Amino acid sequence: MIVNHPTAVLNASFDGDGRLVAADPALAALNARAGGQVGMPMALPALATVVRLARRLGIIVSRAVSVADEEADIDMWARAQPEGAGVRLAVSGWRETPAWSPPRRAETVPADADWRWETDAALRLTLVSPEAGRRHGFDPYAMLGRPLTALFDLESEGDGLLPILAALAGRSALVDQPARLRATGAALALSASVRTDAAGGFGGFVGSARVADVAEPAAVETPEAGLPSGFSEGLDKALRTPLARIVAHADSINAEAEGPIASDYAGYAADIASAGRHLMGLVDDLVDLQAIERADFVPAQDPIDLADVARRAAGLLAVRAANADVLIERPGFADAAPATGDFRRTLQILVNLIGNAVRYSPPGTSVEIGVGHDGGQVSVTVADRGKGIAAEDQARVFEKFERIDTSEIGGSGLGLYIARRLAQAMGGDLTVESAAGQGARFTLSLPAR
Amino acid sequence: MSTASSSTPSPAARAQRAETRAQTRMGAAVADFFLPSDARLDDRTRAMAARVLGDAVGALDLAIRRHAARLLGRTGPDDVAERLLRLRDDVAERLSRPGLLPTELVEEMIARVRHDAMAEALPVAVTGPDEPSLVVRLAGVPDAVVASAASALLAAENRRQDDAAASSELPAELHHRLAWLVAAALHEMADHDPAVGRALAEATARSIAAYDEGDRLDAVATRLAIAIDARGEELPELLTDALGDRRLTLFVAVLARALGFDQTQARALVIEPDDERLWLALRAVALDRSAIARIALALADADPRRDIEAFADRLDDVVAISPQEARAALAGLTLPNDFRSAIRVLGGAAR
Repeated sequence: MIVNHPTAVLNASFDGDGRLVAADPALAALNARAGGQVGMPMALPALATVVRLARRLGIIVSRAVSVADEEADIDMWARAQPEGAGVRLAVSGWRETPAWSPPRRAETVPADADWRWETDAALRLTLVSPEAGRRHGFDPYAMLGRPLTALFDLESEGDGLLPILAALAGRSALVDQPARLRATGAALALSASVRTDAAGGFGGFVGSARVADVAEPAAVETPEAGLPSGFSEGLDKALRTPLARIVAHADSINAEAEGPIASDYAGYAADIASAGRHLMGLVDDLVDLQAIERADFVPAQDPIDLADVARRAAGLLAVRAANADVLIERPGFADAAPATGDFRRTLQILVNLIGNAVRYSPPGTSVEIGVGHDGGQVSVTVADRGKGIAAEDQARVFEKFERIDTSEIGGSGLGLYIARRLAQAMGGDLTVESAAGQGARFTLSLPAR
Repeated sequence: MSTASSSTPSPAARAQRAETRAQTRMGAAVADFFLPSDARLDDRTRAMAARVLGDAVGALDLAIRRHAARLLGRTGPDDVAERLLRLRDDVAERLSRPGLLPTELVEEMIARVRHDAMAEALPVAVTGPDEPSLVVRLAGVPDAVVASAASALLAAENRRQDDAAASSELPAELHHRLAWLVAAALHEMADHDPAVGRALAEATARSIAAYDEGDRLDAVATRLAIAIDARGEELPELLTDALGDRRLTLFVAVLARALGFDQTQARALVIEPDDERLWLALRAVALDRSAIARIALALADADPRRDIEAFADRLDDVVAISPQEARAALAGLTLPNDFRSAIRVLGGAAR
């Protein structure tokens, strides 16, 4: 299992022929997993290219690279610098992403933006849409070259923090920073993506402004809010059938059903099939999301036995656990935890929890499933011995599209969000206790029967 | 009104027309088949060039038609003006038929689209912590000539974002030719009505007179390059900083200024993915190995057609060329554009 190194800088050195001389352990291990070793060129093509270009061009070469490592991709910033006859490689911002993660939010202007602005790295305005001048009645051209704060009066959110500072510090997108236009006092919401330079540094904002709707309070969640109700049906029809066909064909190409093909192509076909499965999972999640976010969503109130549901969920994941060399300790057949809830939805939650636990468990460890009673609630707890979730991330894991340091293939960042929403809809809850490095314990509770 | 006639063509005429169309298509398919893949226009460039052309024609169409209709409303019967305004035919489509638009105009559109796509894809390079980008810095220098030229460049790039004020950004001569073509298309659609013809002529002349070539981004960047007037040792930094600030137009203008090329010529060297002359040009202004390598890497990052490994193979040979040799090799490019086209025409024709 690979660990993330978001802040560390890892080094490696290469001789005049581009052969590896020495590398920090994490980098050496990554290279070794790809089949490389000291005395050979880097086995990871993207890093090898950066090193080779620096050596051949005789200049510093920095760029964002993505390398494959077993089932995950690792994004990193690589900087290769000629040094004497050889090259020194520094890698930073090491961040693991699942190989088939959904594409990152595109660096485009939101569809509801009213006008655009851009800054350079020093937050000087390099673009202010002429449209802004017409809309608000000021001279946008006079703002060019001036600081961002000459155009906008940035406001802090309820917690006293300026979202723009967080965006700068984390080099992450800015979403709905409240602001006022200094020229007119108009209330705006600013969003922006970060332009990074080749070395991963902050290179400026590519932003948009939306006139804030002051009159309307946040829309109350109604069946009409969010996705239209026919959406999930349409999504289902429009995507599932073609995806199933893509996956089936890709699988048969991968299996070389029509005769032998080059192993590269068989591998590509497996990638296509895996990406297709990921998309099907996403379709399922979105359909679920659509259902549970409706105001009239009511799960069934069946008499169920939480211990029995947990045993079934563990059974469904036994093969995957065996492949990962993880033991699932399921509740004994004597255990019972009578509860009220929707059988299918509860099974879905537990498959999700146990699946996550198996995924994050180091080989040779076990996932423990226990049941308990507490007043009017019964609960089932799934505990792993993985790397755990830091206290500050624990609330985030239950949010939509949030992923804390994952290495799984697939996954939309919706699973735990959906699981908690389902648990709460059934009158229960889903909670987590964890500390970084000490594994995680997820507890699903439902009303006792 | 378009050419739709009241009588249906005879079966023989329809067969003839179908055959002509089939032959035209097959001819185009054959020509396409023999096109080398590196000469073929990619879909994105094709679509963008069509859009740029459509916007330029659309802006001219609107301006000329409106003014002509006002003139007609003043002098003639109202219904003529009304009819001109109500024409539904697509001027851009009419002008896009093969052979109508001047080659130079299409070349300019394609070059501009390629230039803009590269400029958009250039990676930003930050020169120092909290240091403003190049053109913002230049807009604040004490030298008023440089500062106002830099502000003008910021404004010109900003204006490009404005759909409402879209201008063709064509060199004046091409703009004039396109304006008359638009007028001719409108005249044809109005069934060559003489009164409409006179109004279109006056409206077109007015539109041409109002067009200021000096507002073009190229021209504004050239003024900044002249104002900076970078000397030998300042050039490498200015060129690499211009690329790092994603100001490809300024990069081209500075290079053109340093070499005595015109902007169109310098742009051609920069946008071709494997133009040997760009490296000669950089040597001609005495750039060293690392400056040339940095420029080549930035351009390769911005343009997937470029092969940086192939460039690395040639880098030592490029650096071995002396500035004098490089200047001599490029001497032909310092001649005026029209002169060089005339030389090409003579070269292409038998003596």
